[in-house]
Amino acid sequence: MITVINSILTILGIYFGIGLLFGIYFFLAGARKIDPIINDSKWTVRLLLVPGAVATWPFLISKLFKTEKQ
Amino acid sequence: MGLDYQTILWNKHKKVYDKLILAFMLMYLLVFAGLTFTFNAQTTIETLIIRAFGTLAVIMLHIILAIGPISRLNTSFLPLLYNRRHLGVSMFLAAAVHGVFSMIQFHTLGNVNPVYSIFTSNLDYTSLTNFPFQVLGFVALIILFFMAATSHDFWLKNLSPSVWKKLHMMVYVAYALIILHVFLGAFQQETSPFTIGFLSIGFVTIVSLHLIAGFNEVKTDTKKSEKDESNWLYVCRTGEIEEDRAKIFTVDKERVAIFKYEGKLSAIHNVCKHQGGPLGEGKIVDGCITCPWHGYQYLPGNGQSPPPFTEKVATYELKLVKDKIYLNPEAFPEGTEVKPVNC
Repeated sequence: MITVINSILTILGIYFGIGLLFGIYFFLAGARKIDPIINDSKWTVRLLLVPGAVATWPFLISKLFKTEKQ
Repeated sequence: MGLDYQTILWNKHKKVYDKLILAFMLMYLLVFAGLTFTFNAQTTIETLIIRAFGTLAVIMLHIILAIGPISRLNTSFLPLLYNRRHLGVSMFLAAAVHGVFSMIQFHTLGNVNPVYSIFTSNLDYTSLTNFPFQVLGFVALIILFFMAATSHDFWLKNLSPSVWKKLHMMVYVAYALIILHVFLGAFQQETSPFTIGFLSIGFVTIVSLHLIAGFNEVKTDTKKSEKDESNWLYVCRTGEIEEDRAKIFTVDKERVAIFKYEGKLSAIHNVCKHQGGPLGEGKIVDGCITCPWHGYQYLPGNGQSPPPFTEKVATYELKLVKDKIYLNPEAFPEGTEVKPVNC
């Protein structure tokens, strides 16, 4: 049981660790690449969106790659 | 209709609604604290905070889950449905205060990581009655975090409405976990019949409301409609639709909104192109069908958003026999001009 718990918490820690790093990138540049409409909004909107970026980073990274390809 | 994102999309009504949420939360916390200190004066401030915010979050979650079916059963509750997101975020904040204080109170005294301690302080995972209930609350809080963090319109658009919807349907998983968390917590730590009693009433109410609303929707969607000689479907009589409002009618599993305005009738596809909002639950504002979710607008005669917007929805042909409205089930391509029927 301890092994299972360790594995789950390690995965959770890595997920949110990467998420935090991605959240910083999202605030500085990523949000604008994902949706250029956000250029017309205040910086506080991007700040408010950071927790969402931390939570959904795998989806957003794949979206960023698709945008880059296009 | 707006082109940019706002930090918080407030209007006059939403501000009133948010003030009511805040007033309710503060009132509940004050009443809870007053009752606790009256009947159980030795309660510590940490325990009070944990219990007050925990019960507040559970009550708010029940209200949130009840709003959907109640507004389907009675449309006068629809404004609550359209303002539900702020209530959801407020509920998450209450749950987060409960979670953080519980972690401080029960898991920060040793030298073990507090999150690790939640999962390992009780390892009786095979027991039904002694199952580590705090783990259930922790997982529910993570789900609620995902939902609160993605509640902004930016996420609805950029995660896509279907992904967003699936993510937010996880509220039912969170609800099940919270019910178990509270039941087991109450069972293991206190013997008060009130907690289990109130929670049981809440659970039965939520399940019943969902079942009743679900049966009603299935009945409406599968209702067989009378056809005329040209295979047009009978919808309703003109008097059954309020001025500047719509009747939603289902054709081959697709919902159509039939609007009555300025002595005319027009029919368009019910789903808003912006984020899938139910156009038929909106109303005509300044001559345009206005989506109740985000205010996107469409002209009733052609299903097109007024310039500079470019959204288009499918339109349908109507005819009137005396005061009976008939609909041609074949949809026209999105944005097709259809002459309104005079009524």
